[in-house]
Amino acid sequence: MEISAELQRQQRSLWRHRMRQVQAFCIDLLLLTLMLLMVEFLVVAFSGRRGPTGLLVTPEEILDLLHYGWAVSGAAFLALLWGLGSNVLGTSPGRALVLGVPEREGHPPWTRTLRGWFIALMVELTVFTGWLITEVQLVTFLTQFSKATDIVRGLLHPSSSVLHQGLVLLVQTIFLAFMATAFAIPVAFCLSFLAARNLTRDTFLLRSAYTLVRAGMNFTRAVEPLVWALIFISWVGIGPFAGVLALWVHSVAALVKLYSEQIENIDHGPVDAITATGASHLQVLRYGVVPQVIPPFLSFTIYRWDINVRMSTIIGFVGGGGIGYILKPRVDLGQWGEVGTLVLLIAATVWCMDILSAKIRERIV
Amino acid sequence: MNRSNAAVDVGSSSSTEAVRVEGLTKVFPNGVRALSGIDLTVRQGEFLVIIGLSGSGKSTLLRCLNRLIDPSEGRAWIFGDEITATAGADLRAMRAEVAMIFQQFNLVKRHTVISNVLSGALGRSPLWSSLFLRFSEEEKAQAQAYLDRVGLGDRAGSRADALSGGQQQRVAIARALMQKPRLVLADEPVASLDPALRHSVMRHIEALNREEGMTVLCTLHDIDLIERYASRVVALRDGRLVYEGKPTSFDAVTFRQIYGEDAVMAGSATD
Ligand SMILES: Nc1ncnc2c1ncn2[C@@H]1O[C@H](COP(=O)(O)OP(=O)(O)O)[C@@H](O)[C@H]1O
Ligand SMILES: [Mg+2]
Repeated sequence: MEISAELQRQQRSLWRHRMRQVQAFCIDLLLLTLMLLMVEFLVVAFSGRRGPTGLLVTPEEILDLLHYGWAVSGAAFLALLWGLGSNVLGTSPGRALVLGVPEREGHPPWTRTLRGWFIALMVELTVFTGWLITEVQLVTFLTQFSKATDIVRGLLHPSSSVLHQGLVLLVQTIFLAFMATAFAIPVAFCLSFLAARNLTRDTFLLRSAYTLVRAGMNFTRAVEPLVWALIFISWVGIGPFAGVLALWVHSVAALVKLYSEQIENIDHGPVDAITATGASHLQVLRYGVVPQVIPPFLSFTIYRWDINVRMSTIIGFVGGGGIGYILKPRVDLGQWGEVGTLVLLIAATVWCMDILSAKIRERIV
Repeated sequence: MNRSNAAVDVGSSSSTEAVRVEGLTKVFPNGVRALSGIDLTVRQGEFLVIIGLSGSGKSTLLRCLNRLIDPSEGRAWIFGDEITATAGADLRAMRAEVAMIFQQFNLVKRHTVISNVLSGALGRSPLWSSLFLRFSEEEKAQAQAYLDRVGLGDRAGSRADALSGGQQQRVAIARALMQKPRLVLADEPVASLDPALRHSVMRHIEALNREEGMTVLCTLHDIDLIERYASRVVALRDGRLVYEGKPTSFDAVTFRQIYGEDAVMAGSATD
């Protein structure tokens, strides 16, 4: 019985090692594929080739031309080669990341390892490729400022005609952000305990809840608040409540992440001590966990309110209420004086919130 | 020194047994074998001191006894009930009988001193009121009395982390008193305290044993403390029980047997 347990343990650790090797290979494969593609991209871009329109090929057209299949196969070959020949070539980046660099390689400077050169090359390739893909035009940037002077002049001479309406909507913006944050607190608080690894190890049910909550929150956070706003606008109609809901959903997801990370970092001493008194799970949470996480939770929550105020201006652009709602048409019509007023109002608010939240958070922790 | 052990007769029946451990083994998930087949019996009223180098498995043994750690194999009985075969509410009821004192005190730092003492009663207080930090007047009076007893009556309203190490450990002892346990597990209760304060804390733990009749299992490092407080000593080495005897029969040979050939028997045996 002892022996079989030992055997099982060995098999498990062997399995884990295999999985890590696969991970390392995948990372190498990805990096090498990217390298080959970027090299091809640059070669085509500088070859002076003409596209279907007869003009020089545009970056988008080059992306269509690239040989993706060949790049992956080539990269797979190279990654295998690097993995097998690691005695001569040194540890590959993927293996260094996942499995670590073996002791026998010591700590040579990066210029003495293939890995170092490879990474340096990747950085340079990325910068060059990025330059072309994003169509950076330094000369235009430096010489054509005059085209934007109208806007700048307008911003510097704010018009007072929109001041009253702006102030009213500013109040709405702040409350909108506040309500989104306030609604998010209880939901995020409860979910964060299920999203903390250290509290969800014991039973299958808890482990499943952890996976579920984590996955759900990662997804929710990945969807931009602007998209949430569009969803809720069609759900509850244009207006500040749609904005509240959009920011609420996003805040819950963001707060769960921050809260649960705090829970994972607690000192387990008090948890042990309270458990040892015969307390129930809820009591252990209340006495062993909650007192430790309250100050950081408060601090994150205020920070979140601060972020929500900023975000609610953008939410207003698409009809989610708040000051952004009257900003958008004035931008479209080029009424730069009024835009200037509104931008100044927003800037002043964000600035105040920033200082206030920093001060409060300083006090709490 | 005069010992007031409730049960010194050797052929004691199981009714005077506080702790019995059979074949207790703990292998951690990372493969570390912290305990290997420990057999041990502790009679009610004993002050058993467990010694051994750091990493020899002392904490693991104590934590298996109240199931803060689940042993891999073996069984353990607390006052005749098998704690290794218990779960849920029954396990919590058994834990309430066993108080624990930690090297790092493990108080709820942001709560008041009295609230920390009251938390010792969580095992028997109603769930909802305890979640709102509410306790009965009777319990509060009791907690205050225990604080007076450890000499901290005037600090009841202070935040726990405003107290010094020695004071915090005395609060932890008051919390243990509040729990009204029959067994106390003390894991290096004085190891992080100034040597000058060690006796002041140890005397309170001794009082749990002598005046309250609680059985105490305590890990210690200092020879003088062992000789002064222990009614019996057992030693662990690499997760095995390697010595068992009276504190007075401690000599250089057994000392090396426990702590290894390099050890020198001086005033203290810290690692
Ligand atoms: N949670 C854990 N996971 C893995 N190994 C552990 C864990 N806790 C303790 N150990 C290991 O078990 C052994 C015994 O530890 P411990 O019981 O804390 O010893 P002691 O209290 O005598 O210093 C040590 O080698 C320690 O590293
Ligand atoms: Mg220990």
